[in-house]
Amino acid sequence: MAEFSEWFKVTFEKCYCEQGNLINESKFKELVQLVLDNEADEASLEIFEEKIRTCVKSSFTFESEKSMREQIRAKLTEHQADIPNDLAQAIRKSVNL
Amino acid sequence: MSTETIQDEQEAKRQNYSEAEKSDIFDTEFMPHVDSMYSFAYRLTFDEDDAKDLVQDTYMKAFRFINSFERGTNAKAWLFRILKNSFINEFRKKSKQPAKVDYNEVEQYYNSDDAGEKITTDLRVETVQHMIGDEVSGALNAIPVDFRTVIILSDLEGFTYEEMSKILDIPIGTVRSRLHRARNMLKEKLAEYAKEMGFNK
Repeated sequence: MAEFSEWFKVTFEKCYCEQGNLINESKFKELVQLVLDNEADEASLEIFEEKIRTCVKSSFTFESEKSMREQIRAKLTEHQADIPNDLAQAIRKSVNL
Repeated sequence: MSTETIQDEQEAKRQNYSEAEKSDIFDTEFMPHVDSMYSFAYRLTFDEDDAKDLVQDTYMKAFRFINSFERGTNAKAWLFRILKNSFINEFRKKSKQPAKVDYNEVEQYYNSDDAGEKITTDLRVETVQHMIGDEVSGALNAIPVDFRTVIILSDLEGFTYEEMSKILDIPIGTVRSRLHRARNMLKEKLAEYAKEMGFNK
């Protein structure tokens, strides 16, 4: 997780203007991805959460991305290929087990 | 995984399992992942028979090189890596459906610094809510296989970036950026589909 701590800092700075307003939503979404994927380290997460608490636009973008991710994942999960009944047996047979 | 790679790993940390141990590892550590392996294979090949062949081939290789697997380590990631490499090295060549997209061209475009700025996806959560799984799967299937793969590994199989890095043989930073681009591509496809269907007004 520490792999991204420097990248997080640099990217975070690019997201906001001097007044602290979100000016680069596209870059911010990259940070959101890291957080939603549980790949942000503790320090990055702290900075992120503080921003979410205080910036309406950031909070809205985060919630929107989170919902989108959950929806897509749920739809993909409900549409899985049927596993052939004889697959496990065929595998065992092919390795003589 | 190429034979050379497997052999290299074998040299590095070769185990010496008895026949009974091999059988036990195969049953308790490898076989529980059959369903995930098949789902992954099917999402790569789009064909039931091809997916079945790919999974069987993967398990045969896994058994053949079982001494290079360290018991108690991440069997699922190890198997996925073999499957992914089998798909790339052997399966893709004889695939009934040759790749229609030039991966290098796509990656080059999406690797440009401002690629993220160019993507303006008009996709609302409500729109996705109204879609059925078949439609979302169709959109996923429409994106190039290397991008599709990272979404499957992360969002459907729950692999970490580090695990994905090992499975795909790419740096962890590339996993992050490719995943971001893949998700943008998926959103674009979903938005296109929604527009065609009249979901997006």
